Amino acid sequence: MVQIRMMEGNEAAAYGAMLSRVQVVPAYPITPQTELISFIAQFITEGKMKAEYIKVEGEHTAMAAAIGASAAGARVFTASSSQGIVFMEEPLWMPPGMRLPINMCIVNRSIAPTGGLRPDHNDSLLQRDTGWIQLYCENSQEVMDTIIMGYKIAENKNIYLPVATCYDGYFVSATASRVEIPEQKDVDAFLPPYEHEWYSLIPGVNKERPARGSSAKNRYEVQQANERAKKVIEEVDEDFNETFGRSYDGMIEEYNCDNAEAVLMTMGSMTGTVRDVIDDLKKSGKKIGLLKLRCFRPFPTEELQKISKKYHIIGVVDRNTSTGSAGGGIVSLELARALYHLEDRPLIANFHVGLGGTDVTPRQIEYMAEKTLGILKTGKIPEPVDWVELKDLGPVM
Amino acid sequence: MSVLDKRFDDYYAKRKFYGGNTCCPGCGGPLFWRMAMDVFGPRTVVYGIGPCAGCTMRSIKLPSFNIHFSFVADGASGILAAFRAQGIDDITVISSAGDGGTADIGLGKISAAAERNENMIQICIDNEAYMNTGIQKSGLTPYGSWTTTTPLGKEAPKKDVPLILAAHHIPYVATVSVAYPQDLKKKLETAKSIKGFRYIHAVIPCPTGWRFDPSKSIEVTKLGVDTWLWPLYEINDGILKMNMKKEAKPVKEYLDTQQRFRVMKQENIEWLQKETDKRREELISLDGKKLFY
Repeated sequence: MVQIRMMEGNEAAAYGAMLSRVQVVPAYPITPQTELISFIAQFITEGKMKAEYIKVEGEHTAMAAAIGASAAGARVFTASSSQGIVFMEEPLWMPPGMRLPINMCIVNRSIAPTGGLRPDHNDSLLQRDTGWIQLYCENSQEVMDTIIMGYKIAENKNIYLPVATCYDGYFVSATASRVEIPEQKDVDAFLPPYEHEWYSLIPGVNKERPARGSSAKNRYEVQQANERAKKVIEEVDEDFNETFGRSYDGMIEEYNCDNAEAVLMTMGSMTGTVRDVIDDLKKSGKKIGLLKLRCFRPFPTEELQKISKKYHIIGVVDRNTSTGSAGGGIVSLELARALYHLEDRPLIANFHVGLGGTDVTPRQIEYMAEKTLGILKTGKIPEPVDWVELKDLGPVM
Repeated sequence: MSVLDKRFDDYYAKRKFYGGNTCCPGCGGPLFWRMAMDVFGPRTVVYGIGPCAGCTMRSIKLPSFNIHFSFVADGASGILAAFRAQGIDDITVISSAGDGGTADIGLGKISAAAERNENMIQICIDNEAYMNTGIQKSGLTPYGSWTTTTPLGKEAPKKDVPLILAAHHIPYVATVSVAYPQDLKKKLETAKSIKGFRYIHAVIPCPTGWRFDPSKSIEVTKLGVDTWLWPLYEINDGILKMNMKKEAKPVKEYLDTQQRFRVMKQENIEWLQKETDKRREELISLDGKKLFY
C-alpha cells in the first residue's frame, strides 16, 4: 500500500535512495545535507536498506569512491552541499567523461565568503560545464520521485551520465511536506537492477568501452548524450506518471500560463511561493504565468524556443550570481543564448533574489511580476539585472 | 625470432604483466610490478598510479584504472564496497600511489582508508620526488637531496610514512626494496594472506631523478638498504621485525653514487650519518617488540 506521510526533503531523499535499491553510499556530512546521510545510515542499521555505507573523510574521496564503486558494478548514491561540492570539483568531472550513472543530491547552499549556511544555486550551477544532468526540485515528493527517475535516466545505455538532484537547503531539505511513499515492488518494476554494459572490474569478465578518440570527440559524445537525455527525461517522466500517477512535466512546467503575455521563470523551492503569487495576480487580471525550470542540464533549448513564442517577455529569477558576466544570472545567460537566433523572441528581464538563502517573499515576487509587465509595456530594460534584495519594497508581508 | 626474443615472449606470456613499457631505462617500477603481479595472481584488481604517469600500470594485464595523482585509496574503497554489495570476496584489491600521492596530497586519504581498515593492499611506489612532473621535492625526498625545487638540497628528512601508518593499528606494514627481491616477494605473500588494510612501502630507483647510470639501479638501491637509509622491516599485528643485517655501511657510500646528493656539505653528511646511526640503534632495540596495540 502507498504510505502517506509528512516528510522533510532530506528524509524523502533518503527514501528515494532506499527505494532505488542503492548499493553503495560514500558520503561525508555537511550542513544542510547531513540529515540525509544520517537517515541512510539509520536505514542501513535498522536493516531496512541493504547498502554499503563508506564513511569517507571528505567529499573528494566521496566522489572518488563513488567512481570506483560505479565502475565496479554497483548503483551508487551520494550527496553534498556548497563547500563540499566545491571540494569535490576535481572528481566531479570524472563520471560524465567516464560515463558513470552516479546519482548525487546537491542540497543547495551558498558558498563562502559571500554566502552562509542557507541556500542559493551557485554550488550546483558551478558544475554546469561538467556534463552532469541537473534536475531541480521544489518539495519533498519531487525530491523522492526525481531520485528514482534519475537512476532510470542515468542508467539508460544511450545516456550513461551522472545525475544531480538539486534541492534547496532548509526550504526543501528541512521543511516537511506531504509525501506519498511508493511501494517497493512498483519501484522495482520501474527501475531494473543496474548493469553497465561497458564496465566490469572483475578479472575475466570482458566488457569494453566503445573506442574513444580525441578529447574533442570525447566531449562531443558527452554533449550528444546530454542531447539525447532531453527526450529520455520526458519519456521517464511519462513512464513514472503511468506507474505512480505523478508527473512533473519533464524538463519545464508551465503553470497558470493561460492568456499570459509574460512569465516568471524559476528554479527550486521559491517556485511554491511564486505559484501562490501568480494565482493572486491572475485573479486581479494580470497576464502573467510561471515557467518552472526543472532541468537545467541539459538546457532545454528547443522546448524553450517553442514555449517562448507564446510570451512577449520572460522574467528570469536567478537565485545565483555570475559576477563579471555579460549581464545577469546564470539562467538568464543560458536563456538568452537559447533564444538569440529566434526571429520573434521575447524580451528577457532578470532578477537576483534569495542570495545566501534569504527568503524570497511574496512582495518581492509581486515586484518582479509587475516590473516584468512594466518592461513589456515600455519595451525598455532599465538594467541588465535587478538586485531585488537591495531595494526597499516596504513591509515584507 | 632469436632464441632470446622467444625466451622473452614465453616469459611474459605466463605473466600478468606485458613485456616492454614506456618507463625510463633503469626504472624500478616495472621490476616491482612484475614481481608483485607474480605474487598477487589472476584474481586481482589494481587501482591507482605509481610510479610516474601510470607508465607501468598500463602493462598490467588485469582490470585496473587510475584517475589522477590526487586520488589515493579512495576509488579502491568504492571498488571494495561494490564487490561486497555483489557478494564478491575473493578478489585482491591493490591500491597504489607514488610518494607524492602517499605522503603529500593523498596522506589524509590513506590515513582514512587505514582507519576504516579497508580490505586492500596499499602500495607506495616511492621514487623520492615528483618525478613525473620533472623532479620536484616530495614529503618522501630524503634529507640533502637536490630536486628542481630544492636546488641546495632538501632541508627536512623523509616523512616516516610506514610508522605513521603502523600507528593506525592496521594488521600489516612492510618496507621493501627491489634490490632484495626475495624479501619483497615474501612480504607481498604475507600481505596477501592477511585481511584488512595492509601497507607496503617500496623504494624504487629513479636514475633520471637521482642522477646515476641506469645500469647501476640495483647496486644503488641495495646500498640504500645496506647503509640503513632505507631499513627493511615489517610490522605484523603491531610487532616490529627487522629483515636485514645489523651492520651498516657509511651513508657516504650511498650518497656518492648519485649526483642528486652532490649539493650536500660535509656537515650535512655528518648529520645524516649521526641520525641514521641513532635510528638504526633504535630499530634494533625495538626488534621483536610490540610497537602498536
